[in-house]
Amino acid sequence: MRETQHNRWSTVGTALAVSSAIGMMSGMAVANEKLVELQQSNENWVMQGKDFSGTHYSTATQINKKNVKRLRPSWSFSTGVLNGHEGAPLVIDGTMFIHTPFPNNTFAVDLDEPGVIKWEHKPKQDPAARAVACCDVVNRGLAYWPGDDKTPAMIVKSQLDGHVVALNAETGEVHWKVENADISVGQTETAAPFVAKDLVIQGSSGAELGVRGYVTAYDIHTGEMAWRWYATGPDSDIGLQKDFNSDNPHYGQKNLGVSTWEDKAWKIGGGTNWGWYAYDPDLDMFYYGSGNPAPWNETMRPGDNKWTMTIWGRDLETGLAKFGYQKTPHDEWDYAGVNVMMLSEQKDKNGKMRKLLTHPDRNGIVYTLDRETGDLVSANKMDDTANWVKKVDLETGLPIRDPEYGTRMGHRSRDICPSAMGFHNQGFDSYDPKRELFYLGINHLCMDWEPFMLPYRAGQFFVGANVWTYPGPKGDRQNGVGSGQVKAYNAITGDFAWEKMEKFSIWGGTMATAGGLVVYGTLDGFIKARDADNGELLWKFKLPSGAIGHPMTYTHEGTQYVAINYGVGGWPAVGLVFDLNDPSAGLGAVGAFKELARNTQMGGGVMVFALDGKSPYDDLSLGEFSK
Amino acid sequence: MKFKSLAVAASALMILSGGAVAYDGTKCSAPGDCWEAKPGFPDKIKGTKYDPKHSEKELNKQTQAMQAMEKRNAERVEQFKKSGNWVY
Repeated sequence: MRETQHNRWSTVGTALAVSSAIGMMSGMAVANEKLVELQQSNENWVMQGKDFSGTHYSTATQINKKNVKRLRPSWSFSTGVLNGHEGAPLVIDGTMFIHTPFPNNTFAVDLDEPGVIKWEHKPKQDPAARAVACCDVVNRGLAYWPGDDKTPAMIVKSQLDGHVVALNAETGEVHWKVENADISVGQTETAAPFVAKDLVIQGSSGAELGVRGYVTAYDIHTGEMAWRWYATGPDSDIGLQKDFNSDNPHYGQKNLGVSTWEDKAWKIGGGTNWGWYAYDPDLDMFYYGSGNPAPWNETMRPGDNKWTMTIWGRDLETGLAKFGYQKTPHDEWDYAGVNVMMLSEQKDKNGKMRKLLTHPDRNGIVYTLDRETGDLVSANKMDDTANWVKKVDLETGLPIRDPEYGTRMGHRSRDICPSAMGFHNQGFDSYDPKRELFYLGINHLCMDWEPFMLPYRAGQFFVGANVWTYPGPKGDRQNGVGSGQVKAYNAITGDFAWEKMEKFSIWGGTMATAGGLVVYGTLDGFIKARDADNGELLWKFKLPSGAIGHPMTYTHEGTQYVAINYGVGGWPAVGLVFDLNDPSAGLGAVGAFKELARNTQMGGGVMVFALDGKSPYDDLSLGEFSK
Repeated sequence: MKFKSLAVAASALMILSGGAVAYDGTKCSAPGDCWEAKPGFPDKIKGTKYDPKHSEKELNKQTQAMQAMEKRNAERVEQFKKSGNWVY
């Protein structure tokens, strides 16, 4: 199957000429190849991860270690809404596409004259959707499909109220709009759609309301559902290939979506996937993580609770799983396993070249797996203060738990690391393939946790734990700061090339460039650049508000730009956004980030930087009225 | 095979230590199934003070909502394929 796929691409030209049936198949391959081709140009940033591997690595070198001090704002754009601005803009063919939190407006801006809004799309949504969003009304961004001879290029978006919408990239007109989630049962959408070949893949949200996770693919041409698979339940719902986990049978294989639960608890079992994806066009497989089981009260769901908290390798066309590795069996901490997947090819300790995926999880472990077989290659703590697990046994694949830092009914657990917010959350990080380093934006957060019994009512919250989060041992707990880290990590050796502390959690991810820079935004409202080799801070600029999205870069008319969303929010800023004071409010976040409001307020916009602030408006006549 | 011997070793250990071995995630009843009750907690919660007493009707609401959305979407797609215009 895979072999056929590979051959098909190399003979696209021939196939086109043969018959209309084959022509249709190769049409899909062409669309895919076009996206790969667009990714390779420094003029584009065509997907949230920049490329299918999710490297967030740009070969552009105009901005580099020597001159980054000259980086200044070139132009800016206010989105007209507040709350958290996650994700980042896309840039394709000289147009920037900008998304917002609820009500999820979309703007297209021509880079030759960024003061003019080329088109906008403003959805009408039921405001009740806001009430079932656990963690601010964020959205992680847009996706792009490059078009073919049947259908023009599309911008694809998700809406908090559960819709997925395909818009004509040139005009902003709705091509199709499907229902992918129902807020009346607690389902929402905050993840960015993911485009590969001619499919739009959309995840799910709502494990804090007992939503059983599901992942769905739609045909870009027609909006028709291609497949839908679940995180828990019978194998026929989960979608397993015949040879599922045959390379690693000890991970578990058949029927575990039911047998690792008591009775029908899997029906409200969580495992939503609201993070990120990666895709390998050669293997034709995509990768993502499923989230936490529901409820947070572990005592109400005995069992390993498969397949929540699982790294998936699935076939793109069928969605069927080739492998699944459960990172956190029977979660007791809400270590929702949805985080970023970054693909690389590196030599392992035996000198063998491996196709890998690397994944910094909420639970404080960075997992590196062979992305064809699912073999566990390494699993290291991203900070040595993680204490729920002693280590991950690479032979058995099992995390060896420390019972002292487990959670249970009738007990308030203290000083658990990481906190439910994770040592790593939704930030999209980066990988420099020359340096073979992953640049991880890390949280340094620990917690106290005490569960309570509660009933399930569809459409209502189903959490069942009180949580108090605070800065970890290396931070300053008394003063509420020192809750962030940035580290450069080698996935084979497990070594850190460098580690730096940050005042607040690094929530929004990182970007790396061949100019030797690692760029990221901070919750207290800075965009910063560090030296990729030693972590030295080389530059920063004070944004209007805190950043919870990742930086992106593109070159236009010969000038390299760096852009980032600002507008603080998401889980860390719920105290500030919703005006909460109880330290355990906001699912335990309020106490940890009470200092945030002294450093930032809400906002919403995009700031674009270039060397010396070079801008289209250096030509003062641009956009001026004339008769 | 590995798991069988692990389980045997684990149960031997438990006998030696009087059974008071806390759940550490390494003792598996089958591949991919390594959960154990914590000391003082039951193997099954049904009928205990931790019984969630879920309502079957509530548990099924998500499936019903998903099926209804899938049906409405399929109707939209069918109409779209016929007319070339998407009607929500």
